[in-house]
Amino acid sequence: MAGAVVQAKALTKRYGARTALADLSFSADQGDVVGLLGPNGAGKTTTIRLLTTVLTPTSGDFSVAGHRSNAAEEIRRRIGVLPESGGYPRHQTGRDYLRYYARLHGIGQRPAGLLADRLLADVGLDERGRSAISSYSRGMKRRLGIARALVNDPAVIFLDEPTIGLDPAGRSQVLGMVRDLARSRGTTVLLSTHTLPEVEETCSKVLVLDQGRLQSFGSVRDVIETAMVEPYAQLRVHRDLLTRAKEAVAGLKDFSVEQSDGQPDVLRITAIASANGRPPMSADLNAALVAVAEAGVPVLSFEVEGARLTDAFLKMTGG
Amino acid sequence: MTLPAEPEGLEDAAPTWLVVARQEMRDLSISGRALVLLFGLSALLSAVTYLAASNQALNFLERREAVNLLVQFAVAVGVLVTLVVSADGISGERERGTLETLLVTPAPRRAIVLGKLVAALSLWFGAYAVSVPYVLLLSGELGILVQTLVLSLVVGTLIAIGLASIGLLISSMSNSNKASLAISVFLLLILFAPTQLPSGLPQGLFFDALLLLDPITAGLGYISGQLIGGQAWTEDLVSLVSPVLIIVLAGGALLLGAPRLVRLVAGRSAG
Repeated sequence: MAGAVVQAKALTKRYGARTALADLSFSADQGDVVGLLGPNGAGKTTTIRLLTTVLTPTSGDFSVAGHRSNAAEEIRRRIGVLPESGGYPRHQTGRDYLRYYARLHGIGQRPAGLLADRLLADVGLDERGRSAISSYSRGMKRRLGIARALVNDPAVIFLDEPTIGLDPAGRSQVLGMVRDLARSRGTTVLLSTHTLPEVEETCSKVLVLDQGRLQSFGSVRDVIETAMVEPYAQLRVHRDLLTRAKEAVAGLKDFSVEQSDGQPDVLRITAIASANGRPPMSADLNAALVAVAEAGVPVLSFEVEGARLTDAFLKMTGG
Repeated sequence: MTLPAEPEGLEDAAPTWLVVARQEMRDLSISGRALVLLFGLSALLSAVTYLAASNQALNFLERREAVNLLVQFAVAVGVLVTLVVSADGISGERERGTLETLLVTPAPRRAIVLGKLVAALSLWFGAYAVSVPYVLLLSGELGILVQTLVLSLVVGTLIAIGLASIGLLISSMSNSNKASLAISVFLLLILFAPTQLPSGLPQGLFFDALLLLDPITAGLGYISGQLIGGQAWTEDLVSLVSPVLIIVLAGGALLLGAPRLVRLVAGRSAG
């Protein structure tokens, strides 16, 4: 367990006959941003609730910020959490709300007020800090929730769908903050989301769950390679030059080429396994592009598919 | 975007239960719930005081009887508002989705329930304060006034602590706030019913024991015995056993069982 800030070992949660999470094992180091992916009901929220001690595991063990699962209160001192469906007290002001949570973390009255002011400024709510939360937009509430998760300067922060309901600017601000937390303060972040480009943009590691089981864990590249999605390219050229482009690619080894269904100016180029058995990679498709260009065919567009996290995710989760 | 610095000011931190209690009382106040409940109580006591005072003026009711009638109402309704607030304590947070954020703080579960209990009791003390001017109006003499205020404070507080504990217990075991409120109020009505029977329950050892076990009937009976029956405070102390017993049992179960009761979802398979 040395070095791992979050570590789960065979973590399992059952509700009667239903298994919400089965044998989950993974670890995250200081400063890691781990993206928790999975379709609805995959076990993402259960994972977060187990690691934040809201639920008790049926079996297995975990440690967070150096504390084993049986030291729940110590774990809660070192974590910040933004739950998926967290409600907010309608009549409290944003400032009172943050001050209350700071006080629950043992911070004195005056410092709690100062901390609340600073956090409100950090999430861009300083001008609305003294308004009732009932007057906040959904995005503002999410930002307030993130500020609340930071009141105790956590070693690990759990964010369940943090960007849901945010406009692009708000989303970018939140993701920027997540990266800052990890980079400059070494905070470990577990981020559950359905927005895969966010994960590719922000996360250093990805954990894919499906029906309570771990499908893959590693870097974005590792996860894509584990999924072994066959990469292919969509090549668009002028319709009159389609045959010449097709011949250029057909002359290459390890490629198959065919006209794309319903698109008379598009070729679908697929890399096939090479002689040494190495699975095809998206970079292999560059050779096809070079061949087309060398044949004197102007390329209108060349899009590589099957090499993104979305493709790997869909393959793993049967989407 | 700047990032939060290390938490400061840990040295002057208040006990967690007090932090929770203060915040709950603040919420009750700013949401207007406390005000509405106490205003309702005030309107009811105004009506009862008017009726009691007119009956007293017409010699249908003696002064002590009039005061006793008012105190019975004040205690019963004061306890009702306390119960309503406590029955919302945990299930209300579940329903509003605010419980999870509370559960991931280091606040011990016992401190959470104790804070909520204290906040609910603040409604009882508010109700008591509201009743004081009415008692002052009806009592007429200092002796009756002091005796009534002391009796209603002591007995009412005992009943309120016990029933607020029961309300929180029910709330912690309910996923629906409506269910929690309905069960709690139904329970209160059952406990209050014997005091409303014109000739009381039938006589006999079983019914006597039943009345003694009912904290409201027993407690209000003790007050009546003092105010109307002229008993000394040491007489009929057995009537205060059930209010105290409820505090010990329900309060004990609540505080001892708090780690298992204060959960995201109520029920055995919840955690």
